[in-house]
Amino acid sequence: MKMNPQSKWGWEVAAYLFLAGLGAGAYVFGVLVDLQGWSDAVARIGVILGLPCVFIGCMFLVLDLGTPSNFWRAAMRPNTSWIGRGTIIISLFMIINAVHIAFWIWPFGSVLQGADAARNFIAVLGVIFAFGTMVYTGILLGAARPIAFWSTALLPLLFLVSALSTGAMAIALIGTLAGVEHEVIAPLIRIDTLLLILELIVLGFYMQGTHRVEESRASAQLVMAGQLAGMFWFGVVAVGLLVPLFLDLLAGAAAWSAVLGSVCGIVGGLILRKVVLAGGVYAPLKAGRFEYALPRQ
Amino acid sequence: MPRYGFVIDLKRCYGCYSCQVACKAENCTPKGIDWARCIQAEVGQYPSALRQMLPTVCMQCDDPACMTVCPTGATTKDENGIIQVDKKLCMGCKYCIMACPYGARQVVANWETYFPDAPGDLDPYEAYAKKRWEEGRAGYGMATKCDYCMHRVKEGRNPACVDACPAKARYFGDLSDPESEISILIRRERGFQLNPEFGTNPSCYYLPPR
Repeated sequence: MKMNPQSKWGWEVAAYLFLAGLGAGAYVFGVLVDLQGWSDAVARIGVILGLPCVFIGCMFLVLDLGTPSNFWRAAMRPNTSWIGRGTIIISLFMIINAVHIAFWIWPFGSVLQGADAARNFIAVLGVIFAFGTMVYTGILLGAARPIAFWSTALLPLLFLVSALSTGAMAIALIGTLAGVEHEVIAPLIRIDTLLLILELIVLGFYMQGTHRVEESRASAQLVMAGQLAGMFWFGVVAVGLLVPLFLDLLAGAAAWSAVLGSVCGIVGGLILRKVVLAGGVYAPLKAGRFEYALPRQ
Repeated sequence: MPRYGFVIDLKRCYGCYSCQVACKAENCTPKGIDWARCIQAEVGQYPSALRQMLPTVCMQCDDPACMTVCPTGATTKDENGIIQVDKKLCMGCKYCIMACPYGARQVVANWETYFPDAPGDLDPYEAYAKKRWEEGRAGYGMATKCDYCMHRVKEGRNPACVDACPAKARYFGDLSDPESEISILIRRERGFQLNPEFGTNPSCYYLPPR
């Protein structure tokens, strides 16, 4: 019996999952650099990258709606729906992020200059909601119980690690292109090296954990040996993880390797979301000895 | 308060797809939407292979997964136990399609003609169906689903698929009444729900195949 994956959440939703993760991840590293006092420029890149990325991601999501004019209803049922909860989390994140950015731009900047305690408070609050933004998407997918590939505690962790990693690489990319000296970027790249290794491990456990039920085995088959195998092995594993990892390890000191590695890693993050979405196979219906694949829809 | 339900006798179904066609005719659903469906499965190897059909409708679950995940409040359970989607409130996020274990939620973006090679506009029959669909409780870009033909039930008739079934494999009735035909069938003939592991407590029961 051939079981079918979902087909209604495609590139638009993948782009949202990716951009929301990247934006929140970049924000977290911006705050980290700011609090550590490593570099004002890098801190600003990270914090200012958060809002537009998450916002553009939300636009992709609105684009995917069947009735976009009703988008504002997304937060009407936060008591039961993870889309509702997520809408509140990302809205608060964007608001806090906007306030944080205001500390650095005219006309607020001159007024708030030196209000470091307030900025640090906003930063801590922002980091909490940034983690919410990175993690909730995995929980949201996991709430779709007939799709066992998504209903696992490792998915939020995978999305979290990937979001932090793509966020760090986005800062490294833009920072390098903007001419920030490499000594300031280097610590971020070293953190990202560890994140890439961690992501490989989490991805390995995530795929290993699919053995439990037949629909998630079918997902693993689809992802690792079926229609999505090219995207998975080439896009996610090779381009998204191994290339930036080896560039970090072998040529970490060069600007060109930071740019190339970051671009590859960021593209890999987008493809990872697409592969996870497209690999979501529905559980079969069971009646006695018979098992029925849900028709493709 | 009734809790409307179905009993589908798998011994009797021979897979003629009358339910699927009757649903289309009754509800004027567009191409790509089948609220009543027949799915086919096979087990075993020749010479002991078996084929069995599984007709499905919306299970009108007592604890519906689609309603839990719906972020807009468009999904509600009415006083008859029927899960309804409000056309004006649904934003088309398709989360319910991911959460429903039974494939009961379906969506189309627009009317795709059944006869793409035919010259000119839609033929009058299809144009009529399109108009009925657009004016009805469902529409484009929203999650649509079976409502056990409530417009017929309110007139005292059966859902269209029940009346159309030539094998008399489908029974419609009230689960909350222990003496209704379907309650008795479920008790006497070992009625079961599909995939109870999802914890939705469906109102559609099946009688075992041979």
